[in-house]
Amino acid sequence: MQKSKKVVVLGHFGVGKTSLIRRFVTNSFSDNYKVTIGVHITKKVVEISNENTISLILWDLEGTDKLDTIRNAYLLGTHGLVFVFDVTRPSTFEHLNNDLDIVRSKVPNTPLIIVGNKSDLVDLAELDVLFKKNSLSVDFVTSAKTGETVDDLFLKMATLLNEDA
Amino acid sequence: MLEKYKKEFLSQNVQFILLDEHGAVTESDDEIFKVSSGSLLPSLHPFFESIPSIDDLDENALDFFCVNLKFDNVDLIVDIKVKRKKECVLLSITDFTEHYNSYQSVAQSRNESIIKTELTVLKNLELEERERFKNQFIQNFSHELRNPLTSVMAISDILNDTNLSTEQVKMLDFLKVSAKNLHLLIEDTLSIGMIDAGKMNIQNKRFSLKDLFDLLSFTYGNKIKQKGISFNFIWDDKLPTEVVGDRLRLYQVLENLLNNALKYTAQGSISFEMNLNQKWANKASVRVKVSDTGTGIHENNLSAIFESFNRVETDEKIKGTGLGLTIVKNLLHLMGSEIKVESEKNKGSTFYFDKVFEYQIGGLKSNPLLEKPEAQKTKPKKNSKKYKVLLVEDDESVQLSLFKILLNTKQFHVDLAYDGNLVLQEVVNTNYDCILMDVNLPNIDGDQITRLIRDFPFKNVKNIPIIGITANAYPENIQEYIKAGMNEVLVKPFQKEAFLETLYKVLK
Ligand SMILES: Nc1nc2c(ncn2[C@@H]2O[C@H](COP(=O)(O)OP(=O)(O)O)[C@@H](O)[C@H]2O)c(=O)[nH]1
Ligand SMILES: [Mg+2]
Repeated sequence: MQKSKKVVVLGHFGVGKTSLIRRFVTNSFSDNYKVTIGVHITKKVVEISNENTISLILWDLEGTDKLDTIRNAYLLGTHGLVFVFDVTRPSTFEHLNNDLDIVRSKVPNTPLIIVGNKSDLVDLAELDVLFKKNSLSVDFVTSAKTGETVDDLFLKMATLLNEDA
Repeated sequence: MLEKYKKEFLSQNVQFILLDEHGAVTESDDEIFKVSSGSLLPSLHPFFESIPSIDDLDENALDFFCVNLKFDNVDLIVDIKVKRKKECVLLSITDFTEHYNSYQSVAQSRNESIIKTELTVLKNLELEERERFKNQFIQNFSHELRNPLTSVMAISDILNDTNLSTEQVKMLDFLKVSAKNLHLLIEDTLSIGMIDAGKMNIQNKRFSLKDLFDLLSFTYGNKIKQKGISFNFIWDDKLPTEVVGDRLRLYQVLENLLNNALKYTAQGSISFEMNLNQKWANKASVRVKVSDTGTGIHENNLSAIFESFNRVETDEKIKGTGLGLTIVKNLLHLMGSEIKVESEKNKGSTFYFDKVFEYQIGGLKSNPLLEKPEAQKTKPKKNSKKYKVLLVEDDESVQLSLFKILLNTKQFHVDLAYDGNLVLQEVVNTNYDCILMDVNLPNIDGDQITRLIRDFPFKNVKNIPIIGITANAYPENIQEYIKAGMNEVLVKPFQKEAFLETLYKVLK
């Protein structure tokens, strides 16, 4: 049977979690913001190499700035984590390192990818400065709107999980 | 009744499903959706793919709240309980779609408004930052303009004293007006910079508001009527005539507003009003209003008009710097008031503000209408003696123009020094009557040289009058130079008269 891995996508509300998944799964985007409540689960089969595929079960969680309140049931059996923030809204990354500590303590020893989304709205050179200033180490800078590096991000996760298993 | 509802609720909203140890459906009551026995739930929805297998479950139920499920064409939002029973897994699924949907719309408006507020705050910060950067840049830039402008103004004055044809006199007048405008612009920039840097102090002195009103009504009344526009001015007799405040800054604000009205109005009328809002104890709130029937401002541009150098809807025929309204806004802000504007494109604009003044009940009339007339101008000394002047200045254009002015009077011998280090040597060797000292010099600054000179042991050197010349126009700069021992300080650009006046003043 095909390997299937649970990947939880989390971060503050409005950062583009739902949009990233939508871009990845259906290659589409909408400017309209529909607040996610609870959890949406979608699945996509990713081809890592010839005849080596893995299916990602993507858990799109309701955004929150209080990560310690995320229900444990949602996180149970998680194989990979994607933490998304919005590069245009400091409130979504001001406490990033602290947020990540909470996530790591809730789900230890799990691959974690840090994503700054909405790159289409800012100057990339400015971003470098911003990340340095806030001492953020960011794995991917994406735009769900243009699709930039969205596939790369999920492919990276798939690769990590494939190695893991 | 209750039982009926309870039954209805239970039967319609909860579905029970049993799975065997391999995860295949053995039983389902199909209350919410259909599942055939023997089927695997993950094929129905990926949620079920990540629920733990029977070996990983214990007796305690696992609760998944608010799970969005989508089958075929139905969107459901449900709570799912997963519980291990002896040899099987029991799922209970409760449909809360309606409940969660109403929660969704609450969360929707809450999140949207939080994000909107956040972005507005950010945008404002960005605007402020941009404005600060722009002003700083312009400050620096206008500072650099002071030297060339000094020579333009000086040379124009010198030209004026030569034999010119009528045509040339006309052109020279143009030149002078342009130089003067440029000068005003630089001073306006300085005002903005001072307000920005918190260097502008607001005075609280008693003055006659009524006299100020009359003065402005008189001067602007004339200008406005000359343009063929009618002018109304209304003074509310209930207002106290004397108030406590900053007359000069208020004057600056009103002048800018009236100038603006005059500039952007081609026909119709302009009105200038001061009315009483209310009085209490020894305070009075005054509504000050300037309105016109001019070009008006489009609604979309209203917020931008107070930004510096932002002349919206620029009409090339109308001259202006775009600084006036920024100054108005900033000065009023300093005075604890706020400029407001109502405008309609092609109809006209009304600018107004409310200002609270303290006043003395039954206060005596004291201050005269105008500030004291300027001190009597110093006339050139009428004697045959030639003065020896040392000009210390590294900017060649300023050097040349001052040199010319001095020589033209035929009363001065002028020596030049470019470099601060040479000055001390020069003053010992020659008996100078005066030193004209630029402040920004290579190697050593003018104020430092002044200190060294003032510390000299020889009386004739120690007491030489020194006039500082500087492009640094902040009051604190000037104070510092005076403290260093300069007798007078001239701020670039200056006109020939002012320059000579100051010079004669310090000469014995
Ligand atoms: N410009 C831009 N907008 C985005 C991007 N990603 C998401 N958005 C917008 O941001 C809002 C919130 O996105 P959503 O995916 O619902 O955020 P979530 O709350 O994290 O799931 C929506 O209006 C999206 O259209 C992006 O990469 N660029
Ligand atoms: Mg979402």
